[in-house]
Amino acid sequence: MTDVERLLAEYKEAHRADGAPADPRPYLARASGPDRAALGALIDAYLARAPRRSFDAARFRDSAAAPMAESLQRALSGSGGLWPALLPRLRNQARLRRAELVSELAARLGAQSQTEKVAAYYHQMEQGLLPATGVSDTVLEALGRIIGYSREALRRAGELPAPGAGAGPEPGAVFARTRRADSEPAEPAPEAAERHWDAVDRLFRGG
Amino acid sequence: MAKRRYVRVEPPTPTPRALDDFAELPEGRLAVLGDDELIDYLRAARSAGRQEAMKPALAILVFGYWDILVSRARLRLPESDVEDVAAEAAASAIASAFDGRSVGELRSWMHTILSRRIADYYEARTRRPQTTPLASEHGGVDEVWGAEPAEPFEGDALFASECLGQAYDELEDERHRRTIDLYVYGPLSATATAAEVGGGMTEANVHQVASRFQRRFRELMDDD
Repeated sequence: MTDVERLLAEYKEAHRADGAPADPRPYLARASGPDRAALGALIDAYLARAPRRSFDAARFRDSAAAPMAESLQRALSGSGGLWPALLPRLRNQARLRRAELVSELAARLGAQSQTEKVAAYYHQMEQGLLPATGVSDTVLEALGRIIGYSREALRRAGELPAPGAGAGPEPGAVFARTRRADSEPAEPAPEAAERHWDAVDRLFRGG
Repeated sequence: MAKRRYVRVEPPTPTPRALDDFAELPEGRLAVLGDDELIDYLRAARSAGRQEAMKPALAILVFGYWDILVSRARLRLPESDVEDVAAEAAASAIASAFDGRSVGELRSWMHTILSRRIADYYEARTRRPQTTPLASEHGGVDEVWGAEPAEPFEGDALFASECLGQAYDELEDERHRRTIDLYVYGPLSATATAAEVGGGMTEANVHQVASRFQRRFRELMDDD
């Protein structure tokens, strides 16, 4: 048995013993040059054929899979496609707090005076509450430049899964927070409000 | 002092719901379902507007593949990007089941998407300047991001995978392919593989087939 075969056998045994695949890097570190590349390819092929891991509720709760499943559930329940699963991750990857991202986004959209409104819309995008079809390319272009993702890829992610395929809200519906002065009149119905859209509304809802 | 108020946001387009057609299942029942059955269940729950019922099924699917995807990503990517790429692959694959496309087996589709995302990752790095500095750029003083990635050079890894694929494709005997699937790529011992393949296959045959396969794999790598 070659070193590569022995390391592959050890890797598979560790997987079998724990029920979860082991971190492959310590095994790769024990090989060098072509052996290392060969071992990587073999482990890769082995993992690509590995069956689904048996469910363990306790381990799930403590794993990174839990927030992932939650964001996916939000995505499938909402109207923003995969944005709830994607946007917070991209923001974290860019090492930006939401307030920082919003401030930058508002500046890029020329809406510095309406940062709060931009924040409300961006919050809806992350939560899957804003129909992706309404969000303009201008917003996606600006957002993509901030978080390092292309406008086209953001659009595609927003369209998955197809909106309307049973994505109606459960009782209690969906609400977004806005800040209003005490003296302001009650919010008009959506149909009426549409007539009063400003530039920011159109950017996020007008398509 | 301004007060927060709540306004209704336009809901997604309502669609007919088959409320009577959907029966919620407990986690224990869901855990033994296959991927396709879980996807069917998720589709039914979503069509019925039962978003809460989707949670356990999604948990089972995501948990079941998460560590596998992360481990595969660790073979090719810097640690800082591993979970992001794995998460995107998992989300895209599961969501694909809802957009009407036929994607075949979920597991294969998930791994195909992961491979694409890893390729995209390296392609994007060649197209745009690296904006996140590596720890070494901080003169070893700033250890905020820890050690730099030790993943093999992507080109070498890709080439090795291609050689492995070619060695497999060259196997003409279906029983030999099955042997490689179970013994090299799978979890079975040589004895168990021989019994599973049958048709006179012995433990010694399994070792022989596996050795020949490994040797051919390395020859293809050395031909470079």
